[in-house]
Amino acid sequence: MNVMITGASGGLGRALANECGRRGYNLFLTDIDARGLKSIQRGVERQFNVTVTTAACDLTSDESVDELVRSIDSLGIRFDMLLNVAGVDYEGGFLERSGRDIVRIISLNNEATLRITHALLNRRREGLPFYLLFTSSLASMYPMPLKATYAASKRFLLDLAVALREELRDKRVNVLALCPGGLATTREAMRGIAAQGFWGSATTNPLEVVSRKTIDRLEARGGIYIPGALNRVLTFFGKLLPRRWVAAAIYRRWQKAQEHWKPAELSAEKL
Amino acid sequence: MKYAVITGASSGIGLAASVELAQKGYAVIGVGRDEARCEQAALQIRAAAPDANIRFLCADLMQQREVARVAHEITEILLQEHEGKLDALINNAGCVRSWYTTTEEGYEQQFALNHLAGFLLTWFLLSQLGRAGGRVLMTGSESHKQFRMRWHDVMFSRGYNPLAAYKQSKLSNILFARGLNDRYQKDGVRAYVVDPGLVCTEIGCKNTGGLVNWIWNMRKKHGAQPEVPAGTYGYLCETEPAPEELYYYRCKPNRYSKQVTRENADRLFALSERLCGVEYPSAIVTEKEKTI
Repeated sequence: MNVMITGASGGLGRALANECGRRGYNLFLTDIDARGLKSIQRGVERQFNVTVTTAACDLTSDESVDELVRSIDSLGIRFDMLLNVAGVDYEGGFLERSGRDIVRIISLNNEATLRITHALLNRRREGLPFYLLFTSSLASMYPMPLKATYAASKRFLLDLAVALREELRDKRVNVLALCPGGLATTREAMRGIAAQGFWGSATTNPLEVVSRKTIDRLEARGGIYIPGALNRVLTFFGKLLPRRWVAAAIYRRWQKAQEHWKPAELSAEKL
Repeated sequence: MKYAVITGASSGIGLAASVELAQKGYAVIGVGRDEARCEQAALQIRAAAPDANIRFLCADLMQQREVARVAHEITEILLQEHEGKLDALINNAGCVRSWYTTTEEGYEQQFALNHLAGFLLTWFLLSQLGRAGGRVLMTGSESHKQFRMRWHDVMFSRGYNPLAAYKQSKLSNILFARGLNDRYQKDGVRAYVVDPGLVCTEIGCKNTGGLVNWIWNMRKKHGAQPEVPAGTYGYLCETEPAPEELYYYRCKPNRYSKQVTRENADRLFALSERLCGVEYPSAIVTEKEKTI
């Protein structure tokens, strides 16, 4: 099994790399952070007996992705799985962020994901099933004030996953949208979870469980995976209420959390 | 003047041990993660020991490249000021994590910081320790008892539990000390584990949140002040001839787990060497400088 992971040096990317290594899959890891890539490559190779290849790439740039694709083609690699993890959020309200940062959320979370997904689907192994993961978010379930662009970008990935799953079913492609709540991936993320108090901890999903179940679900059938019973219940009731009410409730909650936690400390937090 | 390196020296037990050794006339090289906290700690140490030779190096020891960097800085200092000798290395830095979290290498953070960081730093400083007949101290915990190494999954990627991961990392500290003694006692280097008892520090409240934070806030109130275990560090660094036992509580040998066997220690050594990408020598070479 050959697996590509984007955003591989971030918290979720590393956990998924470990999970795949544990299962004996060979890995092709990419991220914009070249040093981080080397670290996770070393870590996975030392822990598991698998082949790990890395290539630093800025997925928001056509040229950089073309180069990545050329190096894949020169190695003649065919893939069985693509885990789209690379994504970004800039904390702070819409007007507190720079216009560039806001546009960059869409450039990476959506455009870049399409770019690499299209390239990899065309380089899947002939005649075998292909597994395609999109990392959406619990934020995709509702409009989210103070995270408006991020939530909308994740909604895009959710809808894309559901639609592609039907479209590519005949071609034996399993598509999964992963919609986690909080994940304790970095010190800042842990601080953010602590700042939200009870609801922060309650909606946070254990990273190692999410990683394992994500790969299980992806291989079994695809679909939408919302980790955590509470998150599933909240999502269910959220759908029954008018979207405007839900948005208003979320706005109040985030405002309160931000009083305890200065999001200025957070820039370009990788999710 | 003797030289000591103390990791996690900017707060809690590490800070108290730094004060203790500074008062005993050691030159102290502290390692801490946060620059502001390190500066604060240096002030506190100087207030308690006005003539202290104290300096801090900043490093996030969870990351192996940071361990390598800080080890080189320490090597430089020792070479210039102390003929490349190190009298005491105190691997004290530790953390608790409520959730499964990983380092840049993808290693579980408690195992990476509480055990692997000390394992790797000691490897880098082995010749320096050999030259001085130095001592290596780890900060252990009573909680290592009634626990076995999870050899099939030391990183807890299945069934993570904060307390279990912590216990395993503390059992690893004793196995590591045992392994060091098995290998290098003949070269004059001794390793010990200090059982500090329950101490009122912030270890359970740094980036934890939720249940762990709450429980530790309750529990630490019953703990002793960090100055209480600090005396044991001084005792183990200073006493001549070197104390014979492995595990000490308040300057006295204490009982430790039956899991601490030569076989388990060797197994942990082999695993840790693989995870750190290094190999411990069969005997300490003191002549030439080691390079990565």
